[in-house]
Amino acid sequence: MSGRAIPSDFVKSVLQNGAGRYVCQLQRLTFKFCKSSGGSRGTRDYIEKHLIDFSRENPGTAVYIQPRRHHTARVVAEFLNGNTVVKNINCLNPDDIMKWLEHLRTRSGIEIVRLRKSQHTDSPSIQGVWTPWTNKDSSMNISDYTDKKLLEMKRDELTATEKLLELAKNLREKDMKKTT
Amino acid sequence: MAHYRVQQWSTFARTWWLFDARWQCPWISARTIIPYLQGTKKPIYHPLSDTGDHVIVINTRLIAMKNERWITFKHIHDSRYRPKGVIEKRAWQIHAEEPTKIFEKAVYYSMDKNLLRRNLMARLHLFPDESVPEDLLKNVSDCIRQPMLAPKRLDEYTEEDRRNFPKLFDWPKDFVLDDGFRTKKQIEFQEP
Repeated sequence: MSGRAIPSDFVKSVLQNGAGRYVCQLQRLTFKFCKSSGGSRGTRDYIEKHLIDFSRENPGTAVYIQPRRHHTARVVAEFLNGNTVVKNINCLNPDDIMKWLEHLRTRSGIEIVRLRKSQHTDSPSIQGVWTPWTNKDSSMNISDYTDKKLLEMKRDELTATEKLLELAKNLREKDMKKTT
Repeated sequence: MAHYRVQQWSTFARTWWLFDARWQCPWISARTIIPYLQGTKKPIYHPLSDTGDHVIVINTRLIAMKNERWITFKHIHDSRYRPKGVIEKRAWQIHAEEPTKIFEKAVYYSMDKNLLRRNLMARLHLFPDESVPEDLLKNVSDCIRQPMLAPKRLDEYTEEDRRNFPKLFDWPKDFVLDDGFRTKKQIEFQEP
């Protein structure tokens, strides 16, 4: 499949959730499983042992249990933004189901797609957008670019020849003072 | 909004840079110029967006190479025609024929080898001396500093400077500094 056919989007968050207080976006969980078949055994165990704890810890999430004869076990998660995610939990043990429920609980409900960029902002820069002339010395406006001083290498230290010449000059001055 | 459009124009405006190649190694200069051609110096750089700048290079005739590089370095072109398809040329030979060629090849070979290379090279304007067309020169809004320090030649010193240059001792008058001996090969390369 080509890159254009794969859905893609920018990074989003639901109404800046978590910037002030956090609202769990998972609203409803519906377990659908079979009472007799082996594939639903892990789900049955989970419901018996852990589901009450889960429900107590997350009072904002409604939990429904629907026995469905000879169906594969699955959990349907409904989010605040109206999205629905169906997760197949057939033939999974309670530990794995717990991990998948944690995944659904912490999700924002926004569809999982390829991200075009890892950062996004709704408000443009306050400083102003960068241009080639930001942080440039204003003297550049009137300077002549064919000037040799602008094109030459910038250096802090003197060259060895210049140091030598300076030394010789100092020595000569000293000698002159001695003779006078 | 209308002013966002104008902001975009100024952000993505191409700068024209001036670079003086006098007494510069073409390979080291290439390394300094390429970030400007690619636009990697800009904070808005992204590999998918076209953010490269123009660079005008003057004085390519006056580039410098170290050691025996003018003699030993050669460009090879192979046209895959077997009897005489391979053309080898020494650096001095190419430079005598086309004074911008060595610099151009140095930049071209130092760039990332991908499909963008030709387009980036199109934004490099090379001139053998200081005469640049007026319409190009008026675009220039900034300059790139040379990466190497240009040495001062002996004939640039005045007679007085030369006489006053600090010496530990004087050579005896009959001392021979250069006996003028050259091998056949040296003569061949030095006086083509």
